[in-house]
Amino acid sequence: MSYSKKDEDADQAIFKVDRTSVFQEARLFNTSPISPRKCRILLTKITYLLHTGERFPTSEATSLFFGITKLFQHRDASLRQMVYLVIKELADTAEDVIMVTSSVMKDVAGGGRGAGEQEVYRANAIRALCRIIDGTTVQAIERLLKTAIVDKNPSVSSAALVSAYHLLPTARDVVRRWANETQEAALSGSKSGGFSLGFGSSAASVPQGSGMTQYHAIGLLYQMRSHDRMALVKMVQQFANGTVKNPAAVIMLVRLAAKIADEDPSLRKPMYALLEGWLRHKAEMVNFEAAKAICELRDVTDAEVAPAINVLQLYLTSPRAVAKFTAIRILHNFASIRPSAVNVCNMDIETLLNNSNRSIATFAITTLLKTGNETSVDRLIGKISGLMADITDEFKITIVEAIRTLCLKFPSKQAAMLTFLSGVLRDEGGYEFKKTVVESMFDLIKFVPESREEALAHLCEFIEDCEFTKLAVRILHLLGTEGPKTTQPTKYIRYIYNRVVLENAVVRAAAVTALAKFGVASKEGEKVDPEVKKSVVVLLTRCLDDPDDEVRDRAALNLRLIQQEDGEEVAERFIKNESSFSLPIFEHQLVMYVTGDASTFSQPFDLSSIPIVTRAEADAEDRSFKLRSTTMPTLKAPTSGAPRPSAGPSAAAEAVTSAAAASAKYIQQLAAVPELKPYGPVLKSSREVELTESETEYVVVAVKHIFKEHIVLQFNVKNTLTDTVLEDVSMITTPSDPEGGGVGLEEDFIIPAPKLGNDEEGTIYVAFKRTGEESNYATATFTNVLKFTSKEIDPSTGEPEDQGFEDEYQVEDLELTGGDYVVPNFTGSFGNVWEQVGAAGEEVTETFSLGTGVKGIQEACELLSQTLSLQALEGSDVAVSTSTHNLKLFGKTISGGRVVAEVKMAYSSKTGVALKITVRAEEEGVAALIVGSVA
Amino acid sequence: MSGFFRRIYEYLLSLFWLTEMDITMIGLQNAGKTSLLRVLAGGEFTIDSIPTVGFNMKRVQKGHVTLKCWDLGGQPRFRSMWERYCRGVNAIVFIVDSADTESLPIAQEELHNLLQKPILDGIPLLVLGNKSDLPDKIGVDDLIEAMNLKDITNREVSCYAISAKEETNLDAVLNWLIARAKK
Ligand SMILES: Nc1nc2c(ncn2[C@@H]2O[C@H](COP(=O)(O)OP(=O)(O)O)[C@@H](O)[C@H]2O)c(=O)[nH]1
Ligand SMILES: [Mg+2]
Repeated sequence: MSYSKKDEDADQAIFKVDRTSVFQEARLFNTSPISPRKCRILLTKITYLLHTGERFPTSEATSLFFGITKLFQHRDASLRQMVYLVIKELADTAEDVIMVTSSVMKDVAGGGRGAGEQEVYRANAIRALCRIIDGTTVQAIERLLKTAIVDKNPSVSSAALVSAYHLLPTARDVVRRWANETQEAALSGSKSGGFSLGFGSSAASVPQGSGMTQYHAIGLLYQMRSHDRMALVKMVQQFANGTVKNPAAVIMLVRLAAKIADEDPSLRKPMYALLEGWLRHKAEMVNFEAAKAICELRDVTDAEVAPAINVLQLYLTSPRAVAKFTAIRILHNFASIRPSAVNVCNMDIETLLNNSNRSIATFAITTLLKTGNETSVDRLIGKISGLMADITDEFKITIVEAIRTLCLKFPSKQAAMLTFLSGVLRDEGGYEFKKTVVESMFDLIKFVPESREEALAHLCEFIEDCEFTKLAVRILHLLGTEGPKTTQPTKYIRYIYNRVVLENAVVRAAAVTALAKFGVASKEGEKVDPEVKKSVVVLLTRCLDDPDDEVRDRAALNLRLIQQEDGEEVAERFIKNESSFSLPIFEHQLVMYVTGDASTFSQPFDLSSIPIVTRAEADAEDRSFKLRSTTMPTLKAPTSGAPRPSAGPSAAAEAVTSAAAASAKYIQQLAAVPELKPYGPVLKSSREVELTESETEYVVVAVKHIFKEHIVLQFNVKNTLTDTVLEDVSMITTPSDPEGGGVGLEEDFIIPAPKLGNDEEGTIYVAFKRTGEESNYATATFTNVLKFTSKEIDPSTGEPEDQGFEDEYQVEDLELTGGDYVVPNFTGSFGNVWEQVGAAGEEVTETFSLGTGVKGIQEACELLSQTLSLQALEGSDVAVSTSTHNLKLFGKTISGGRVVAEVKMAYSSKTGVALKITVRAEEEGVAALIVGSVA
Repeated sequence: MSGFFRRIYEYLLSLFWLTEMDITMIGLQNAGKTSLLRVLAGGEFTIDSIPTVGFNMKRVQKGHVTLKCWDLGGQPRFRSMWERYCRGVNAIVFIVDSADTESLPIAQEELHNLLQKPILDGIPLLVLGNKSDLPDKIGVDDLIEAMNLKDITNREVSCYAISAKEETNLDAVLNWLIARAKK
């Protein structure tokens, strides 16, 4: 075999490498003398295999590994590097890899014969070393790694730092002893600029000369100290003064500072000062990271965020696309939370609309959609239509989602948006994109009643030629629920029946169900048009011949229901069903049922225990969720640190959802108390009210439950004393009317908590009957005194003593206000309801000052929708201006009477928030009651 | 010298002049394997030698012969791996601490266990009683007795008393090894 032939083999081999032949070839490692070149090629093949997902079985891996250890007899530097790469890869599969430890350690130590060559592979040796070592042997390499961390060669130092990072989980205590060395590495890394001079030009081309060691060192220090906040703070402050130069390392500090600011409010100020300073760092990426961190600060103020916005604005005009992109993306995200703060950049963002980079243009548009006011919407939508043709589905979805939020925010602009949506619905696009468009139209129909007929028309047109069965089915369902309510139901019947003729079985079945809904009355108390009913019956009868059995079954069932004599009510219930079970509770109950013990399973599941929600309630929850979820950007940027609850505005929108969730939480708990059975279902549960500081001996939290004629106060009491047991824990609760009149509350019973050991939580229930007539919405202030028998624990036995003594402990008062009788609710049109309720009910107006304790309009919005227990409408939960705002609220009392409120607010830094609140309510006395709960 | 020329040079040397030998050094921990190898390779003797984790490889140059010496860890966990490194070598060197009579039975057992492996048949064996500088060492004859060397029949066996510390008798060791080079 000639040499040239061999070379050819070697070159091609990499393309047709297979495990068996490589394993055969491995005999090469045992030959003498060794050919470094051939061995290197073979090692390359092995790495190639491993990187393409091939796995050697343990026995093969082990024997390969031992073959490779023979290569330690050769000092060829590039061979040794390859050896280390492969050892690192095999370390997890081969057995007894510990065998190379001493040899690797010799290489790490360096300074032997051929020290110059050794410098090349020392870093490789370190990285391999930490892979072959196990928890018990770490000590043996401790000194070695410690020295390597402070090695003057940056690649060696980095390798040691990264290895330490990997060893940390297995040998935390050992690694933490290397803090001083790591600290030194973090500081000395900055001098490596000077070093490269010493090495001459060759070192300048080594990337590690950039101070990357600092990045690695800071990363390791962070891991070592992650449980010690004060140490972290010290570290950030120490390194922030310019000693750390590497931009990646500084970014780590930025994130750390942001995290600290988030976790500890008392440190927010100094951390913010650092972040603000980094906005002027000479590395662009540091500026961006700092700006992003500031924008993501919890409840960031306008003053705090201004410098960050400023810097981002400058980058918007940068000649480099990547800088522009980064800046606009951060602004885009922030605009979801605080559009008013991004306003100032609008001029610069406008110029990006025509940017040839589509990603930049898309973000520019969606940002403007958020920051703009109603007047700019039309113009922007025009712009977008031009852009849509050239961008990917992913970006299209971003845009459609921005439009969708806008629809909910500016219902008056629905016409323009609907035109846009129907336009893009006709464009080419994949399922996800079409789905987003269709869902946006669903939202319009649901939440902006004015748009209903036209949106339905567009959807009808869409299903005429819709390739996605899933979407067709959903649209048909919607046509079935919305169509009968329109002025011309017959129009939709035609579209629906077309589907029965032309589509596949799944769509046909959905069409049949939709069709049937036109055959029953659209509104309560109304009669269905006999003509319409007749044609529906004719059409359904034709469907009885359908080739598919599901379609036939549905047709038959619906025909039967529609044609029943006097069957209106049954038909209504089955065909139109506007209510559904509360699904989260349903799911939870079912899970409890199937996972419970055998005794629960022997009884049939009790469906009546699941609360039923009406469509209006479900919609309200849905809408607030949607408004909230839009604050999450679609194309998510990595957040610094852990995800955190999104900033301010969403809190008000959450009112409905959290109220529902709160009641859901207690329903089960209350159902377990037999004494409460006669009260009927709980109509509303308040949020938790703390009646003590959280560090007191006894921690008390109260919840108010409203029943039809009763009120139940639930007190959750926790005993934090280690050496005492509380027995017979009860609450003496005395209601008094703040106005001095009769309270209208009569105590019914108390259920005490029998015994509370250390850190145990118990529940006390105090029940009152509401004795008032008429509206029966009693308000009161309760004074609460905890009463119990306290027994010390004998430290020798751990048992409580026989004799205890009685004791009392007063906790804070609890207010029962008008808001407690109201449940936030949603309605499509605030204006309509305002007029309707105004005509039928009472109106009360009052002015208040919230004082300087409330730090702005936004906070006031949240506070009000929470205390009044009303839902903010028309996006008024987000304050656009910081000086004046109009908050629109809606809800229903527990007996179903509507409550609408309008709050006009003005803010000045001197006097705080002043407000004028006007409440209209259908039921007598409620308006005054609600206004009263603000005071 | 560029890599290419060096390779040719080394190739020529190996053809006409240089001979390479593989030697494996085994024995219980603390017998002095690593110390001996360090001294043979021209290094200084050190008192506080750290235990070998796995193996340690060194080249020893003597005239035109290069001895590639594989010094293996002596702790129980490594003993099962001795055999892998003994296959096909020119000679096995088994080192015992001649002042540590308590460990001799174990050393004896481990040695005989190893030599039973058919794959190692015929490989010459050199047993070295190290630390002859210490007062309570035992002599060569006692060592032969204790190690049961008379029972080994299927290979060449020799036994010397040496001291890595005082560098006693090391020349004899080297000469013995070089004489085992295959022609
Ligand atoms: N007095 C004396 N001590 C020795 C001699 N050779 C090795 N030692 C010591 O014995 C200990 C173990 O040596 P080491 O080479 O690590 O043994 P290994 O485990 O067989 O590699 C070390 O403290 C050495 O200093 C010797 O010839 N005389
Ligand atoms: Mg050793």
